[in-house]
Amino acid sequence: MSVAEAEAREVQFEAPAGLWRDAWHRLRHNPSAMVGFALIGLFVFVAVFAPVIAPEDPRTGDLSRLEGTCCPGPSAEHWFGIDQQGRDEFSRVVYGARYSLLIGVVSVAVGLSIGLVLGAIAGYFGGVADSVLMRLMDIMLSIPGLLLAIGIVAMLGPGITQIMVAVGVTQIPIFARLMRGSVLAARENDYVTAARAVGVSRPAILGSHILPNAMSPVIVQATLALATAIIDVAGLGFLGLGPQDPATPEWGTMLTDTTRYLQTAPHLALIPGIAIVISVLGFNLVGDGLREALDPKFRGRA
Amino acid sequence: MLRFVIRRLLLLVPILLGLSILVFAWIRALPGGPAEALLGERLTPESRAQIEEQYGLDDPVFVQYWRYVKTTVVDRDLGTSINTRRPVSEELKERFPATIELAVAAMLFAMVLGVPLGYVAAKRYGGPIDQASLVVSLLGVSMPIFFLAILLKYIFAIKLGLLPTVGRMSVLIDIEHPTNFYVLDAIIAGNPEALWDVIKHLILPAIALGSIPLAIVARITRAATLDVQNEDYVRTARAKGLPPRTVDVRHIFRNALLPIATIIGLQTGLLLSGAVLTETVFAWPGMGTWLVEAIDNRNYPVLQGGILFVSLVFVMVNLVVDLSYALINPRIRVS
Repeated sequence: MSVAEAEAREVQFEAPAGLWRDAWHRLRHNPSAMVGFALIGLFVFVAVFAPVIAPEDPRTGDLSRLEGTCCPGPSAEHWFGIDQQGRDEFSRVVYGARYSLLIGVVSVAVGLSIGLVLGAIAGYFGGVADSVLMRLMDIMLSIPGLLLAIGIVAMLGPGITQIMVAVGVTQIPIFARLMRGSVLAARENDYVTAARAVGVSRPAILGSHILPNAMSPVIVQATLALATAIIDVAGLGFLGLGPQDPATPEWGTMLTDTTRYLQTAPHLALIPGIAIVISVLGFNLVGDGLREALDPKFRGRA
Repeated sequence: MLRFVIRRLLLLVPILLGLSILVFAWIRALPGGPAEALLGERLTPESRAQIEEQYGLDDPVFVQYWRYVKTTVVDRDLGTSINTRRPVSEELKERFPATIELAVAAMLFAMVLGVPLGYVAAKRYGGPIDQASLVVSLLGVSMPIFFLAILLKYIFAIKLGLLPTVGRMSVLIDIEHPTNFYVLDAIIAGNPEALWDVIKHLILPAIALGSIPLAIVARITRAATLDVQNEDYVRTARAKGLPPRTVDVRHIFRNALLPIATIIGLQTGLLLSGAVLTETVFAWPGMGTWLVEAIDNRNYPVLQGGILFVSLVFVMVNLVVDLSYALINPRIRVS
């Protein structure tokens, strides 16, 4: 066959695979990413089916179980032992997954939605909007993350909703910067110029051309942001700024008082902490895997 | 080069301005209003009137803001702590060195362990050290600092009884504190026992605080070394016949260090944030515990002064990092 025919054949072999299919293929063959997916799956499963999995109510305790001293460790009836208020630790950890998942998702959603909008506006419209928005982001970034969250909680008062908002707000500049960068890069592409030349309106270009291509770093960042959000929320809970009712089974809050019992009942501190590590590890593994999978340098070579 | 420096310094102005406006607005947004916030329980009709006059709360916002800037910048007056009745700036002078000492120790830990780990991991790509470095990096960022601190406390203090877990120095030892940096103070006092005691107290908190920077430094050094190894100039150096050692040190290592300079700014932010959590676990008398207590006690003057100061430090560090990076990397100056 002629060279032209051979080349035509080659193009046909490569054409059907798109960015997403390539990425998914690479992800599937990445062992650590698969481990991450498994961990996330476990985390989400436990969070969603907590009422079914947990044998007891995480808030009510039976002080008579303590028999005077703190605190019985893991046993056959209480897999994770009993906490200082006589509550079943296993149930508390299981319900804790709910809080962590909820708070993580909401915070990231807040940061992502606001950040993306601001970043897209700054990147696409440029000029004054860009300068003003980016200065604002710089100012927000000039206060170290946790301190900014602490400041917001000081303003709003302690509580679960408040720490969700606080952590969400600290995520905004990251997503804004990211989106702006993606939009700026995409804006220079020829297909955008072509679309403008044909007369497509600016919002339509933003929606159908720029945004879909800018999405991949956002997806990676969102996954990693979830990991950070879970840790930050636990941190704020640890400092006593989270849910004010100590009966609430939030993992970070569960770690606050346990340093006192490290000598006698280390499981109270170790188990929630390990739970946090496992969940966060899952999101980090998947985030890293996604970053590698979506890297445009590998496109068309799967 | 000069243009870059000037441009960068000019950028500082809107950031500082915005920061001061943010903190100013924040004090006014606090529940109860500025008078309650600044006086706490000592609020009486007279003192409220005094505060209102002092802060000119009847005046237009711009006048108030100007007065706030003047008091803070010109008079260097950050207010009075509600709890201890001491000037905030005085307490700051005690608390800040404690946190800095801890942050520097953590940074040292991260660099001394992280750079070699990343470098060796890259040179023996795929080997056991490489795998280990990836695991370390991953665990470092997945573990909450306060949990690592608790773990370290449990293993080294309670189980093994090797290291202390509370405070900066044993109460049995007594030395003068001219600088408030206990390591320096011990050296100045010429007291080796005190020095060893101070260092022992620093070890666990520094490891806990430095865990995340360690993970990041190891990862970046590894990535940078991998990138540099494949560069053309390395190939040229080898082709020229340079001994492998020279190629390693003069070309690969030196250039791999560049990206680390860029993340020092990021790391400072992490260290300042992480210090809050680490200090709480180890009862370290630094800025972190100071601010957390301030929140619990609604000690708003301390919160305001503390957050403003820390942010200022952070901005300055970023500035210095940016400028020094321009010094190291000539390409930046041209852009």
